[in-house]
Amino acid sequence: MKSSRRNFLATGLAFPAAGLAFPRPMGTPLAPSTAPAAPGKLVYRTLGKTGLKLTSVGFGCMITSDASVIERAADAGINYFDTARGYQGGNNERMVGAALKSKRAQVHISTKTGAKDKAGALANLDTSLTELGTDYVDIWYLHGKGTAAAITDELLDAQQTAKKAGKIRFAGVSLHTGHAEVIPAAIQSGKIDVILISHNYTLKDTHDELIAQAAAAGLGVVAMKVMAGGAHSVQVKRPGAMGAALRWVLKNPNIGTTIPSTTDMDQFEDNFKCMPAKFTDEDEKLLAAHLERIGPIYCRMCGLCNGTCRKGLPVADLIRFATYADGYGQFGLGREQFRGLPDGVTIIRCGDCSACTVKCPHGVHVAERVSRAQELFG
Amino acid sequence: MMRRTLLLLAAAATAFAQAPDCSLVPGWTQHGDARSFTADNLFEYMDGNAEGYLAYHFVGMQGVNCRSGEDTLVFDVSQMESAEWAYGMFTSNRDPRAPVEKIGTEAQIVPRRAILVKDKYFVEIGSSRELPDVLRRFMQAMDKRISGASEPPEALTWFPTEKLVPGSVRLVPESVLGMRALRRGYVGEYDFGKAFLVEETSPESAAEVMNKVRARLGATLPIAVADEGFVANDKYLGRLCFFRKGRMIGGFTGLVEGADAAAVAGRLAERVK
Repeated sequence: MKSSRRNFLATGLAFPAAGLAFPRPMGTPLAPSTAPAAPGKLVYRTLGKTGLKLTSVGFGCMITSDASVIERAADAGINYFDTARGYQGGNNERMVGAALKSKRAQVHISTKTGAKDKAGALANLDTSLTELGTDYVDIWYLHGKGTAAAITDELLDAQQTAKKAGKIRFAGVSLHTGHAEVIPAAIQSGKIDVILISHNYTLKDTHDELIAQAAAAGLGVVAMKVMAGGAHSVQVKRPGAMGAALRWVLKNPNIGTTIPSTTDMDQFEDNFKCMPAKFTDEDEKLLAAHLERIGPIYCRMCGLCNGTCRKGLPVADLIRFATYADGYGQFGLGREQFRGLPDGVTIIRCGDCSACTVKCPHGVHVAERVSRAQELFG
Repeated sequence: MMRRTLLLLAAAATAFAQAPDCSLVPGWTQHGDARSFTADNLFEYMDGNAEGYLAYHFVGMQGVNCRSGEDTLVFDVSQMESAEWAYGMFTSNRDPRAPVEKIGTEAQIVPRRAILVKDKYFVEIGSSRELPDVLRRFMQAMDKRISGASEPPEALTWFPTEKLVPGSVRLVPESVLGMRALRRGYVGEYDFGKAFLVEETSPESAAEVMNKVRARLGATLPIAVADEGFVANDKYLGRLCFFRKGRMIGGFTGLVEGADAAAVAGRLAERVK
């Protein structure tokens, strides 16, 4: 008898009671459940001058719970998967490699190295290739470079060496902070093909100009932390909000692709549906309501206030210290960090100025929050 | 919020007792300032790997760098919400191909890296070159320094040991088997398939989850295991079986040809308390 869902269900009805003897010999194959159809339409974008045609929604593998989710995503047509040497002590690369082993030719894989020198980086790469079970990765990122100085000539040289050896196709840099410094440095280096940046609705248009500059220079721009996950404590959790956050990122045409961290099938399907979808007024309202709540207190660590206080205060740090106490009950930690600042800084009081020169583009009430830190810890 | 605040306050009170200390091994001294992080700002330190900690209910981290001559160590101690989450963090980070040692609850020492779990604490040390003996001495010292339980979670004893791949049992913090309905649980590799155990809050909620999984898989067939059970085939999970015993859900995926689904599920169900 040819297996089908219909006759299988009929068989099931013939043996309705759980607890009866198994109704067919063990080992007899059941009809395989149908693999879920692609949950939406695939949309592709070109990643800068790399020419890679990537699905606008890629797949961040860092916290994926099971290799089967990655396999399903690849079968559904997602063609960009991101991991890193450091994820789960190296176990993540092994899982990604196993999941994509039979699909290597159809997908693009990126990984990252956190090494500080050339030899360490190249050793990392060789380990990554072994764990991923591949001869090359499509993009190899220098992992988490928050300053221009961290992109050393030695590391850039390691990437060029790897390129010549055919172990990587493109060189990248990833960053969570320091966009204003690192993105121009990546452009100016002339050796970086792709930047992987944290980018989400909490940052509004802060980095749009930098992203446009990178795109104009031919760099591919990949967005991560698209759900504001880096600041997990403020991540919006309302139904539909994750999709709204992803669609917000996708509305920027200079973003080549995105890598939402994808845990399970449900989330993958939700992400997938965002590809052809437009950012709607409903999305805007949902995200705006959340921003309204967190706006005055939550520092996005965008760095745009650096150097703008006429008294030289490290504004973002002070706001964070106040948040430790007010938001997380970590008064001791806030005080400890405050006391770690230079003496000349800890004695300054915001009340000494008649008007504040620091304007937060995200609406954080800077003088109020910094004063709060001074009041608590000073 | 109140629970989180209390946890953080408790963490702050006990954190210093478990802090990393370079002087635990003679010849090593601290280089630079100590560092500390909470869930709020861990990404500033890990910068790209923080979610891997947050998934295991990370509370806080203290760290130092140590130096001896030209050699350096990066020494971090993370506190998780519970001993089970700390053990989960350890299982997520250990290399399943390398042996573990009985230091603390468990430790794994490879040439340039050592990890240890004991009670709510997850200890990591990375070295600038291969120093396994030094790493082991630090871990032994941390074992003495950290008070509290040093037994692995009880759930590990529920996995039959026959044909279990050593070191393969790990805690999946959410979405076991890639299914959101299976909120968190343990998985372990056997040479004939992958076992899993998920604890629900009540038999009723576990029965509800079983229904959700059936709906997700499509075609299933009942089997006589524990309170309820079924078998199915899935393109990605392979030949699989699920059972429910009270509030526990368990089973196997990826069963190889010839493996008797009902029998192996039954053996697992028998051990579950």
